[in-house]
Amino acid sequence: MGTPDEISMELQKISWFRELEPKHLKKIAAISHLRKVRADEVLFREGDSEDNLYIVVEGRIALNIFVPHRGKVRIYTAEPLDVFGWSSVTPSVRQRTAGATAVIDSLVIGINAEKLRQACDEDHDLGYVVMRRLANIVASRLLVTRLQLLDMFANPESQNGK
Amino acid sequence: MAALQTTAISISQTNHLLEPNWAEITAITNETSDVSTYWLKFVDPSMQAGYSFKPGQFNMIYVPGFGESAISISSDSEDRDKIGHTIRFVGNVTRAISRLKIGDIVGLRGPFGSPWPVQEMEGKDIFIACGGIGLPPLRPVIYHIMHHREKYGKVTLLYGARTSGDLMYPTEYDEWRKADIDAQITVDRGDANWSGRVGVVPMWFYQFRLDARNTAVLTCGPEIMIRFVIYEALARRIPLENIFVSLERNMKCGQGSCGHCQLGPYFVCKDGPVFRFDALQPYFNVEEF
Repeated sequence: MGTPDEISMELQKISWFRELEPKHLKKIAAISHLRKVRADEVLFREGDSEDNLYIVVEGRIALNIFVPHRGKVRIYTAEPLDVFGWSSVTPSVRQRTAGATAVIDSLVIGINAEKLRQACDEDHDLGYVVMRRLANIVASRLLVTRLQLLDMFANPESQNGK
Repeated sequence: MAALQTTAISISQTNHLLEPNWAEITAITNETSDVSTYWLKFVDPSMQAGYSFKPGQFNMIYVPGFGESAISISSDSEDRDKIGHTIRFVGNVTRAISRLKIGDIVGLRGPFGSPWPVQEMEGKDIFIACGGIGLPPLRPVIYHIMHHREKYGKVTLLYGARTSGDLMYPTEYDEWRKADIDAQITVDRGDANWSGRVGVVPMWFYQFRLDARNTAVLTCGPEIMIRFVIYEALARRIPLENIFVSLERNMKCGQGSCGHCQLGPYFVCKDGPVFRFDALQPYFNVEEF
């Protein structure tokens, strides 16, 4: 869904893409699509093969991991301008490590991960910008995960095992 | 005569801070499984009439046989009829408080400490970033802004809790939003019933456009959260002197005498709990401080 021009316009709203040269932006627009997702619609499931990197344009997408005996645990919500499904661009993981479901009606941009990897390999200037941005995203997620692990709002007595 | 009056007032104020005055629990609001708000009223009506506090200040609450605990005032500073304290049951004194009922009596000393600079912030945008039990000391600021909304620019509240069940005052958020306060809520751990944000407070900064020259950032919560909120505020070029932090330390005397709450050259009970960050920066995020 979405013409290349429409997609290009949406991409330019995202700070991620502002430092790209027009030819790079065009290249990314050509491998991207816009997708509307309704509330509760599943965008992808844990274990699915990775196909797209996503950016939220509107709405809210929940990332869930299924934990035996606990069910689906919501670990994160992606909000407008947020990137998710980033591991599809890294070579090490070939399956979705979390599922994604729309919490409310949402609009996302999907970028074909394999074609993006190819484009980055063929044009290292583009690859540098994309990978630098991805590194920022991964670093930010790592920080979030650390803070979640610290359980900073827990009652100190329960944390001390009292 | 004028000098005598001044002395009398001074003695009365000193006693007010040194000796607890009896206050009755008039209501209890259960906020979460381990947090409740206790609404107090001085037994002596003249004490109640003469009592006032500023947003951000705290009282020492005394339970006979158990001791005293420093508790932030979480109610409206313009409501002179009652004083609210939102208390997490985490030590001997607060656990003793958790066993008290409506009509029981506690001792109360205060108010103590430095307030949030609500007057100095007039004309500015306000960005409040807080988490967990860090919201109660900021609730009086929210009420103050609601009473004087025209004096402030854009007001944003970014509040985080562990789970949706740990959120404080959830029934008030809509009222705050109606008063043009952009209340944004997030939880660290989501569940199927929660359709809001999942993620930690500092990471949501990127969603807000802050006018660095004209925004005051107020933060309160676990120190680890405060640290990352300050990193984010500084990354957005908010000047040090526009960042305000309320710290919680082991406060005992409330007057900077016992040293339990010392932080570098400061006593949190006397010089704080609200600090402007430029004063605090040399001692902040220093191991063992």
